[in-house]
Amino acid sequence: MRLKRSFLFALLALAILAALPMFLSGNLLNAAIKMMIAALFALAFTLAMGQAGMLSFGHAAYYGLGAFAALHLMRAAEQQLFFFPTPLIPLGGALAGFVFGLIFGWFATQRSGVYFSMVTLALAELLFTIAPTLSTIFGDESGISTIRGASWGFTFGPDIEVYYLTLIWVAICAFLMWAFTRTPLGRLALALRENEHRVRFLGFNTHVARTLIFAISCLFTGVAGALVAIANEAANYTIFAAQGSANVVLQTFIGGAGTFFGPALGAAVMTFFARVTSDLTRSWLLYQGLIFVLVMLFAPTGLGGLVEMHARKLRSGAWRHLAGPYVLCAVAALLLIAGVVFTVESIHVVLTDAYTAARRSAGGAWVPYKLFGFSFHPMVPTTWAIPVLSLAAGAALLPIARRITMAAWKRATEAGGDDAVAPGAPGPTARNEGATA
Amino acid sequence: MNASATMSAEPVLELRGLRKSFGETQIIRGVDLIVRRGERHALIGPNGAGKSTLFNLISGHYVPTSGDILLNGQPIGGMAPHLINRRGLSRSFQITNVFPRLSVAENLRISIMGKRGHRFTVFRAVSGLKDVNDEVDAYIEKLRLQKRRNDMAGDLAYSEQRILEMGMSLATDPTVLILDEPTAGMSREETTYIVDVIRQVTEGRTLLVVEHDMSVVFTLCDRVSVLVYGEVIATGDPASVRANKKVQEAYLGEEVH
Repeated sequence: MRLKRSFLFALLALAILAALPMFLSGNLLNAAIKMMIAALFALAFTLAMGQAGMLSFGHAAYYGLGAFAALHLMRAAEQQLFFFPTPLIPLGGALAGFVFGLIFGWFATQRSGVYFSMVTLALAELLFTIAPTLSTIFGDESGISTIRGASWGFTFGPDIEVYYLTLIWVAICAFLMWAFTRTPLGRLALALRENEHRVRFLGFNTHVARTLIFAISCLFTGVAGALVAIANEAANYTIFAAQGSANVVLQTFIGGAGTFFGPALGAAVMTFFARVTSDLTRSWLLYQGLIFVLVMLFAPTGLGGLVEMHARKLRSGAWRHLAGPYVLCAVAALLLIAGVVFTVESIHVVLTDAYTAARRSAGGAWVPYKLFGFSFHPMVPTTWAIPVLSLAAGAALLPIARRITMAAWKRATEAGGDDAVAPGAPGPTARNEGATA
Repeated sequence: MNASATMSAEPVLELRGLRKSFGETQIIRGVDLIVRRGERHALIGPNGAGKSTLFNLISGHYVPTSGDILLNGQPIGGMAPHLINRRGLSRSFQITNVFPRLSVAENLRISIMGKRGHRFTVFRAVSGLKDVNDEVDAYIEKLRLQKRRNDMAGDLAYSEQRILEMGMSLATDPTVLILDEPTAGMSREETTYIVDVIRQVTEGRTLLVVEHDMSVVFTLCDRVSVLVYGEVIATGDPASVRANKKVQEAYLGEEVH
């Protein structure tokens, strides 16, 4: 029953993604490609982190190696050294990810917990440092670039063809990773996360098991890297930077590793968020950090956990109780966000070189600045009344909205007859995917 | 008094001059011990005698400083825990040691998967491993955990967790099962239940058990060894060990109760 529903949802999601390009312009289509790749990366990362409890801080290494493996394959095909069909290029990324996952994983999995994380981080940093010196493999500072070759009747020139190629690979990999959770090794991964010591006394070589699981995670990470190489037709050594490893960790936690689709959702949303906000403001990393902190504090099960919680309410029809209170919450949240964004952006503008130059030409006097198409004066109280009032109103409204929502959630739960864990309350973090039978 | 039909004088587990030191401190000071095939053997002794250390040596958690550990005549001292397990010796732990967020059935399935050669299988679904799943059900019945089959192991009552933990060790199908204080912290009723289960499931196997409850030792075990200050001071049937002068002294003059 549950399985059937999951399948239906997966099919629905696939159908939506397949139909999406009809409604997307060029720029958004490219964003959608990057979102799908990020989702695949996060799922692959979660295979090691969420399932086997191996928090890797160096997954950018396998992502980058997958990308470079793909680029070399593409370049060889471009130079007509041999024929290699473009749609199968990700296999090269998978192989590179798996092989280096085995080698690096063999060392990293000698340790667990923080020490494991540190070894993965160190190995990735090692790669980041030596990559620019190995210019035949990774190119120099500018990296290597190539073009997508035509094969199987497609030119792979337009983005739309890349979109479908990416979609197919992401869908296949997501299915395989889901299937992995139902294999003996996938179940063993959960046991390793829970209690590695006990597993050792049940006849398992836990080092081999952890290395294998890590390498499988790296295999799918390599596919994601290859897909990004296909999409960009280029990469340089910065793909190995710690930023990339950190991003996938943040995205996975925002998405919530407690559900299978959570990390994919988190990665897609945050990739889109980064893409939109980085064009608008230079403070976008600050906002991304704020989102991470807020999710960790108030929704530790992540977006996936929230979705799952509300899916149950939707099915039981109890959402009617919640619609009103949620509008109230949204108003409170918007007021707070408006206050924060106005303050941050105002400070940002006032500290720019352009503004200081403007002040200098005005003889040091405070001059009005432009923000969101309006003009504000930094020394006029009405300017600062905007954020102060919206923050105050939001802060006053928030506890009320929260109380009303809690009460509504209780009513909805009684009406729907399921568990009483309210959003924002520390929920069960348990993850026990697939068949328990 | 509970001599099993399968018991023989042939040793299945043998410790010879076993020593273990941690730095300057010698914890196990030359232990010689023979556990016969098919017997239920109790290991008793005051706190700090080295019982847990001895178990950790036998199961591969620690490497002996000197001396031999023989399982079916083969040396196993210092081998990795998973290799010792595959040779037919499985242990349970003093503190409850299950996979708390996996179901009871899954806890047992891990053991059975390993034994049946599905340690690293990735090209088959667990739901399709009929032999494994049938055996899981058989063990759940043996352990009398039918009602708890799909509950998270962490949600079980303490005594049920101990039973499950023992079941996980047992499900690897060892010739020698070693249990570390299986009835510790249990009520009278729970003790009766677990002793009953132990007796049933160890039929045809060899059992070495650390136990404090003397009534359990007397009803369950064929022979008893007394470990004091890292040395075995007496081995024999329960009645003769209780009558042993040295044993009585070791328990500070108190009568062994």
